[in-house]
Amino acid sequence: MTRSRPSLFSLVLSLPLLIWQVAFFLFPLIFLVAISFWTVRNFQMTPDLNFGNWDRILTRGTFWDAYARTAMLATASAALTSAIAFPAAYAISFKLSERAKQWLVFVLIIPFFTSYLVRVYSLQVFLSDAGIINAFLDMFGIGPFLMLNTTFGTLVGMVTLCLPLVILLQVFSLNFVNRDFVEAAHNLRCGRLRTVLAVIVPSARVGLVIAALFAFILSFGDFVSPLYLGGGNPPTLSIMITDITKSGQQWPRAAVVALMMIGTLLTVAFGAITYAYKERGK
Amino acid sequence: MTMHMNTDAIVKLDGVVKQFGTFTAVERVDFEIGRGEFLAIMGSSGCGKTTTLRMLAGLDDPTEGDIWLDGERVNGKATWDRDTPMVWQSLALFPFLTVQENVEFSLKMRGVGKTERIARARNWLDKMQILEFADRNISQLSGGQRQRVALARALVTEPKILLLDEPLSALDAHLKVRMQAVLSSLQKDLGITFVYVTHSMSEAFSMADRVVIMSRGKIEQIGSPQEIYHAPRNRFVAEFLGSSNIFTGRLVEKSGDDWLVETVHGRFAVTASNAPAKSLGDAVTFTVSAENMHISPEGAHTPGIRAKVVGEEFVGATAIVFLETETGEELKVQKSHVELTSVNLHPGSTLNLHWESHSCHVLPGE
Repeated sequence: MTRSRPSLFSLVLSLPLLIWQVAFFLFPLIFLVAISFWTVRNFQMTPDLNFGNWDRILTRGTFWDAYARTAMLATASAALTSAIAFPAAYAISFKLSERAKQWLVFVLIIPFFTSYLVRVYSLQVFLSDAGIINAFLDMFGIGPFLMLNTTFGTLVGMVTLCLPLVILLQVFSLNFVNRDFVEAAHNLRCGRLRTVLAVIVPSARVGLVIAALFAFILSFGDFVSPLYLGGGNPPTLSIMITDITKSGQQWPRAAVVALMMIGTLLTVAFGAITYAYKERGK
Repeated sequence: MTMHMNTDAIVKLDGVVKQFGTFTAVERVDFEIGRGEFLAIMGSSGCGKTTTLRMLAGLDDPTEGDIWLDGERVNGKATWDRDTPMVWQSLALFPFLTVQENVEFSLKMRGVGKTERIARARNWLDKMQILEFADRNISQLSGGQRQRVALARALVTEPKILLLDEPLSALDAHLKVRMQAVLSSLQKDLGITFVYVTHSMSEAFSMADRVVIMSRGKIEQIGSPQEIYHAPRNRFVAEFLGSSNIFTGRLVEKSGDDWLVETVHGRFAVTASNAPAKSLGDAVTFTVSAENMHISPEGAHTPGIRAKVVGEEFVGATAIVFLETETGEELKVQKSHVELTSVNLHPGSTLNLHWESHSCHVLPGE
């Protein structure tokens, strides 16, 4: 089969997307690659082909520590968010009436109405040493627990950021699970809980993996939670980028970190999507 | 056929009712299914046939009445605790598992060890002649091959009963006939009970020992295909089968089995063997099957009904001629093409229809 060439009409339709992507993604990306080779002298950037920036960043232990920390946080956030989201998404998709489903989907969109930064600030009120949670626990003589400026605090922020989106993506993928599969599994002696694990999860795999991927991407690049709930020290990659740019106009080195992050996300996304669409058997 | 003796029933439905909210899907159904019997439940969509099957499978629970399975009352027993595998209309094969893993599935759920599981699954794949596709993905199989996987998956636990919900409806005509043969011989070889839900008369009549015809949640008739075909119980069944002409009238003369029935088309002699007792003046509905109708050119000195040709349908070696009487009723005649060459069959041409009195069947349920 020969694929017909795209028509003029379809080209015109895709033009806005094309222009947008070239102007605000491709061009800045190329620019980012370019400036990662520039040189900074006397707080001035000059075009160059200087591999020193790459050498400087990639040979530093602090970069790799931050890289590992960021990757771990993003992985933990993706796993935690998926695990917390799934029972809710399952209940919405399988157990509720169409009307209740619509309402809950609406409710899940509400958090997006408020700025993430505002929500994170309000979380500080909950998590701080004399905050709402510790005050509540104190009534039972427990605590206080250190939650603000910890990894736990960072994860609370990241999960809060990702949860609504992950639930929505999971609900949409679970809605497409063939209901006959569930009954067929029951009929083949598979109990309720086991059906969820053995049939529903594999059936919705593409959507579940993509939901987790979104959580990973959002958390990996997140700057707000690690700074305001995690304390910012030791830094994640995003915090490191701001630190580098602040100290001596080192935009080229920041570009190296950013490119490493983009490379990581592309690899993870490619791996996740390949895994999601992998078919069993020959 | 003696397969439906009371003592050897594997399934017994006793006054079974199923309501969904205010809608009654199944309304007081009673019947038994014999061990080793091939029973077809037939009816148009919404007649309650699939709901009946689902209640046997334990996917729906009856609102009223009892279901007995192999001597045990199974009301409220979950499908995963029953041994009633079902083949779905959509087949419901798991696309995230290979062919062999699909067949192994229920064995795995029962905790059968891996070695035995694989051996049993492969044995069934072999029986269904699809062993070579064991490691394939479901999406790479043809319709017929998928059908065989679904059967292997349902039968791998060697159940006493298999439930089938319109499993062949997605296949083309040619493959359908082949799969019917596969199902028939499979059922005979295994000697297990098949309960087969379908809206297709040809499927039900070609495979089943007995057929249950349902309409609006009720059973209209139960019997062997021959019984139902030759002696439909009521107007619904006769119309559903679609192969007969139905006449209604009043009994005006009676001498033993020889009745005379007055209809809008005139008076007709009816041989009422096996007919219910009727007295003069009672309403009588009788059928004459399309192939027992005779057709002759208009004006010939034969008694019968004058009717205009409306159209013709080609059915293999025969044709069905549709005609309309002067009073507007539609009649049909099924004859070989050779027999039809003797009459003028153009739309609009008028013909004479008649039949022998012993070709008439009085509907006992009317």
